[in-house]
Amino acid sequence: MKSILAVALLSYKEGIRQKLLYSTVLFAILMCFGAVLVSGLFLRDISKIILDFCLTAVNIGGLLVPFFLAIHLLSRDIERKSIVTILAQPLARHSYIIGKFLGISYLTATVMAILTVTTFISVWMGIALYGEKFFTSFALLPVLSSILLSWLGILVLNAMVVLWCTVTTSSFLATLLTFFTYIIGHSIDDVVRFLSIENSKMIIALPVRKVIEFCQYIFPNLSAFDFKNQAAHGLSIPASEFLFVTVYAIAYICIILSLAILFFRKRDIA
Amino acid sequence: MGQWQTMIQTDSISKTYSTHLFEKKIPALNDISLHVNKGEVFGIIGPNGAGKSTLIKILLGFIQSDSGSVTINGLAPSDTRSRSNIGYLPESPCLYPQLTLIDHLRFSSRVTGDPFDKSWCKNLLDKVDLAHVSRKPLAKYSKGMVQRAALAYALFHNPDILILDEPMSGLDPVGRHLVVQLIKEYHQKGHTILFCSHILSDVENICDKVGLMNHGSLVKMLTPDAVSPGQQPPEQYSIPLERQFFETLAEQEQHTP
Repeated sequence: MKSILAVALLSYKEGIRQKLLYSTVLFAILMCFGAVLVSGLFLRDISKIILDFCLTAVNIGGLLVPFFLAIHLLSRDIERKSIVTILAQPLARHSYIIGKFLGISYLTATVMAILTVTTFISVWMGIALYGEKFFTSFALLPVLSSILLSWLGILVLNAMVVLWCTVTTSSFLATLLTFFTYIIGHSIDDVVRFLSIENSKMIIALPVRKVIEFCQYIFPNLSAFDFKNQAAHGLSIPASEFLFVTVYAIAYICIILSLAILFFRKRDIA
Repeated sequence: MGQWQTMIQTDSISKTYSTHLFEKKIPALNDISLHVNKGEVFGIIGPNGAGKSTLIKILLGFIQSDSGSVTINGLAPSDTRSRSNIGYLPESPCLYPQLTLIDHLRFSSRVTGDPFDKSWCKNLLDKVDLAHVSRKPLAKYSKGMVQRAALAYALFHNPDILILDEPMSGLDPVGRHLVVQLIKEYHQKGHTILFCSHILSDVENICDKVGLMNHGSLVKMLTPDAVSPGQQPPEQYSIPLERQFFETLAEQEQHTP
C-alpha cells in the first residue's frame, strides 16, 4: 500500500507542476466568470444559465486531465523510459498501475475542486449582480452531487486511459482510443435506445446492430454520470440512482484496472 | 566460493526479440551463464548490440528471458524484494524533469519503507556535488548533473548490488572522477557492482572480473589470474584490456561462418 501511495504522490506532484494544468484551470475559471456576464443578457433563468456554464466548465476542466495530462504522465513514462526509474525500486507492477491511477484521480479531483469553488463564487457574483429572485431554484446538494458523479465518470475514463496506455506503445494511439471511448461512452445509450424503438422506420443491418450491442457491454456508459441538467434546475438526484451510478463506476474501474494490470504484468519494459 | 556469496547468477539465459508481429525473431542473448560474487566488481564490455543492456534488463525483471534462470541474491527478478537490494543506473537516466532530486529520493524512501534519513541524504548529495541544486527541478540540470542525480537515486537506499549501465556517459572529466571515486568507495564497503561500459580504461581501473559479450554471447571471461598472473586488480592488467578486447573480437569474427 505504501508503494502505491508513493507512486500516486509522485504522479500527482509531476502532474501538478505541468504548465498545461494551469492553462486548463485558467480557461475554466474564465468560463465560469464569463457565465456571470453572459447570463445577464437573458434576464430570466439566470441561475440555470450560470450553473449550466459552470458545471460544463467543471466537466471540461476535469476531462482535460485524462485527455492530456493522464496520457502524458502514463504513455510518455513508457516512451521516455522514466518508468525504469520507478520499476527499478522494489515495487510491483500492479502498484505502479494503481498508483498512477490514484495520482491521476487526485489531479482530477484537485482541478474539479478548484472549479467547484469557482462555480460557487460565480453563483455568489450572480446573486450580487442580479438579485436573489433569479436564484430561487438554486440548491447546493444537487450541484455537489452532480459534480461528484461527473468526477466518477471521469475516473472511469481515467481507468480506460490507464488500460489503453498499457496495451499500446504510443501516446497518440492511446489518445485516439481514449477519444473513441469518450464518444462511444456518451452516445451508446442514445443509440441503443433509438434501436429499441419498435416503430423506428430505420433499417439497420444485423451485424451493425450486433456491433452496437457489443459496444454497449464493453464500453462504459459515460452519459449515466451526466446530471448537469437536474443540478441546473435545482432538482435533487434520487439516492438510489446516485448509489447505482457510484457502484457502477467502482465496479467498472476495478475491472478495467485488473485488465490493465494483467496486460502490464506481461509487458516487456525495453 | 560458497553458494551464499553469489549475488547475481544467470544460468543459460536466452532472449529473442521481434520488432514486428510477423518479423523474424532476432536473438539478443544466447545461453548466458555468469555469476557475480559478493563484493566483486564485475565488468561487462562488448560492442554496441552485444546484449549488455538486455542482460541488465533481465536481471532487473524489466523483460523476461525465453529460457534459463536468473537469481539476484537468491531471489527471482520477478520478486519485488530482489530489487530492494539493487541500485540501478540506466544508460540514459530518465528521471522526472518537473520534480526535484529531493522528490525522487523521498519517493525512493517511501517505496523501500525506510524513513527519510536527512543526514544520509546530505552526505550523498555532497558526494555527487548536487546538494546546492537538490531542490531545483531536474529540467534545469545539465546532462552530467542528471547522470549524477541518477547515481544518487540509485545509491540512496544503500543497496547491496549496484548495476551501472554506462555510468560515465555525459560526464565531464571532473564528474567522471567523482563517479569513479564513488564506485571505488562503494566497492571498498563490500558491495557488489555490475559495471557495463564502453570506456575500457574505466573497466580496467574499476573491475575485478570482466566478461566480454558479442552477438548476445559471453565470449570470454577475463579474470585477473588468467590475464595477469601475480597482479591483483584494480591495478593495470598485464595485457591491456583494449588489446584483449580487439583480439578476442577479431578471433571471433574469423570463426564466424
